[in-house]
Amino acid sequence: MRRAWPWALTALLAWLVLYPIVVLVLGALNGEAWHAFLARPGEWRALWASVWISVASVALAAAIGIPLAFLFEWLEFPGRKTLGSLIALPAVLPPFVGVIAFLFLYGESGFVARAVQALFGLARSPWRLQGAGAILLVHAYSMYVYFYLFTRAGLAKLDWSMLEAAQALGARRWRTLTRVTLPLVRPSLAGAALLVFMTALGSFSAPYVFGGGFRVMTTQIVASKLNGELAVATVETVVLALVAVLGLALLRHGEGDDVLVALGKGTAPRRRPIRRPAVRGLAAAAGWVFAVLLLLPHLTLALVSLVPYGSWTTETLPPVVSLVNYERLFAEPARLEPLLHSVWMAAASTLAAVVLALAAGEVLRRRSPGAFRHPIETLLELPWALPGTVFAIALAATFSVHDPLTLRWVLVGTVALLPLAYLVRNLPVTGRAVLAGYRQLDPALEEAAASLGVGRWATFRRVTLPLLKPALAAGGSLAFVAALGDFVTSIVLYTYDNRPISIEIMSSLRVSELGIAAAFGVILMLGSALVLGIGARR
Amino acid sequence: MSVFLEIAELAKQWSHQVRVGPISLGIGRGEIVALLGPSGSGKTTVLRLLAGFETPDTGRIVIEGEEVTAVPPARRRFGMVFQHYALFPHLDVGENVAFGLGGRGTGDGGGVTQKVAQALALVDLAGFERRRVQQLSGGQQQRVALARALAPEPRVLLLDEPLSNLDPALRERTRRELRGLIKRVGITALFVTHEQEEAFDLGDRVAVLNGGRLEQVGTPEELYERPASLFVATFVGRANVLRGGTAAALGGRNGQVVVVRPERLRFAQGEGLPGIVRERRYTGALAFYQVETERGERLEVLAAPDAARVGDQVRVEAVQLMAFAEPPS
Repeated sequence: MRRAWPWALTALLAWLVLYPIVVLVLGALNGEAWHAFLARPGEWRALWASVWISVASVALAAAIGIPLAFLFEWLEFPGRKTLGSLIALPAVLPPFVGVIAFLFLYGESGFVARAVQALFGLARSPWRLQGAGAILLVHAYSMYVYFYLFTRAGLAKLDWSMLEAAQALGARRWRTLTRVTLPLVRPSLAGAALLVFMTALGSFSAPYVFGGGFRVMTTQIVASKLNGELAVATVETVVLALVAVLGLALLRHGEGDDVLVALGKGTAPRRRPIRRPAVRGLAAAAGWVFAVLLLLPHLTLALVSLVPYGSWTTETLPPVVSLVNYERLFAEPARLEPLLHSVWMAAASTLAAVVLALAAGEVLRRRSPGAFRHPIETLLELPWALPGTVFAIALAATFSVHDPLTLRWVLVGTVALLPLAYLVRNLPVTGRAVLAGYRQLDPALEEAAASLGVGRWATFRRVTLPLLKPALAAGGSLAFVAALGDFVTSIVLYTYDNRPISIEIMSSLRVSELGIAAAFGVILMLGSALVLGIGARR
Repeated sequence: MSVFLEIAELAKQWSHQVRVGPISLGIGRGEIVALLGPSGSGKTTVLRLLAGFETPDTGRIVIEGEEVTAVPPARRRFGMVFQHYALFPHLDVGENVAFGLGGRGTGDGGGVTQKVAQALALVDLAGFERRRVQQLSGGQQQRVALARALAPEPRVLLLDEPLSNLDPALRERTRRELRGLIKRVGITALFVTHEQEEAFDLGDRVAVLNGGRLEQVGTPEELYERPASLFVATFVGRANVLRGGTAAALGGRNGQVVVVRPERLRFAQGEGLPGIVRERRYTGALAFYQVETERGERLEVLAAPDAARVGDQVRVEAVQLMAFAEPPS
């Protein structure tokens, strides 16, 4: 019986994670579709766009995030602590909400454009926020956080005595930086690069809203699917998956191992205060300006959510503000529905993902998980390696057929498919958090419980679960927030009966109910911040 | 003494090179046995086999006539004190001690509160119930671990390097207290250590393990005076190990390895092995002398502090020596 558990878990994970991909790949064995794909120049352009946008996003995010990390980790100046946490703010903005906030702020009829227009008395909006530049702007804004956080973590781990050793050996500042510091934080940098590359490659919201005629693979896939070209969409999805796997393999290679950094205990770095008052003031001022810049999208969203329908036409700032949008949202049950849908789907998928992660942790903590460790860990990680669109299409393909013998049921068109997709997408984050939690558990604690006559289940309930609480909260809150704000998978798999918030925001935008859309965005933003805050509490 | 806990032909193979056992050992009720050996000798494995955390390939564990070899740890009723104590960090002292009592330490089912209080009083920590375990010193943590292991009234107490986490100044006193406590409770106990002094101080009998095999079991005196093997002779207590000519000069037969304790060597007039005193280490009542022989070997002699000075030409003779056959390499 005990032997059966690892098998059952591996099989379940394989069915959830691997099987849809297999179905997808088999579905792509279609000569005609490949022919169509290869013959259309638009497809090649989209593929190329996906790749270069992702690479450019990595470069931009690194250019912003790395210097900021050094600034906040190594120098001391007024407001460093507050600013240091403000700077991670883009993280609480779900991708799609971030995009519409940018639309309201820098878009054709956004605040900035209106201000410029009014200032110079222009007849028309001075710019259109569209194309590759717009996508890169959003990516840089939302993804530099990865570089910032990873580099800071890497620098904080750095053994300061190594830098002192380099200086004692006569190395100047530049040489110390290039020969010692950067090689030592390389694993962090590579980790951030990998994360940004994968996020940018799978990014859908920004290209969808700002792309216009500029298509990347994710938007191309959804467009093909909406056009009813399912075979071509399948081929495109497989191609995108291949690019993702290739990128992952290349960047993993650059990550190297962490052994170098963990070699000694060493001394913690100490921050250098900026001595010259003028420079210190400048640094602080620049920091605050930057923070305001980062906060502008959040503020914009809040302001737009207060604008009643049709009251704001050509003025720079909205003439009327009121809470009418929120009132309508909560007074009309039909409007509130998407919120409820999102919450139940996020909660159910998060719970299921946490339970699966716990099951994996229990199986792998046994003294001899043997052959299961690798498959289980890989299956838990796999959804992370593939863009959300890939999984959405794969799940749609797998569960559009009724064939119980091959473990396929028709779920397309039911409310069950979207939470299932959220669950699959959530496995890496809950899996990672929970398995890390298990690794930190002292195996002697379980043995201590056993030697005190306490059985397996009681030990799990009384020892393991309470000690895993921080890991569960961290993994669970990240998963919940991701599912709550999801747009990529939702747009492919939603039905009317489970339409989530992001889809409702999109519909509101279509009928120009900007205020309602923004109000949903604010709710999503606050909800995310609240859940993440709870999850991070110790 | 009749056998209370019997370990019969217990063996576990990890890989081709690494195996433990077969080990046989009978332990009387209320006896304290030390498992002594260098790291990698398999002493912790033996303890974990007894606790049930490892399953032996062959052999049996029998307690009071009941075979428990295949009984899972939770139903074996063997208490264990872990090397790093393994106190539950999310529970307070009282909840830790109550953990094995079936209750939760807060509500009172079956006199749990009273049992916790008794167990804590036993280890001199009365009234510590609501302390957090992180607030305790190392010695206090060790005592909580002991109270927790004893509270469910186990049949055998197992201790894994119980003193290794304490600072040296505390160790000697704790050793005596620990022995006193175990004897007061009257429980049969096995503990693992790599320190001979600890094994001698704490154990009624000491089982010496080497390379997974049991070399000798006996009282400290037996091990020290009548070691069964060259390994035991050198691992237990200080020893001069001599071969060849030097061994012969002190009275050994050809081809034998001779082991002499420093206190069984003495400075002699006229007779004995000639050498020069190279070092003298004063310890109070006596002093250790490092004597270099003409062949360049070093002998350690324990003698009166004024017996010789550094640079003196001396002669050394053995009062008593132990001879062993050269072990196969």
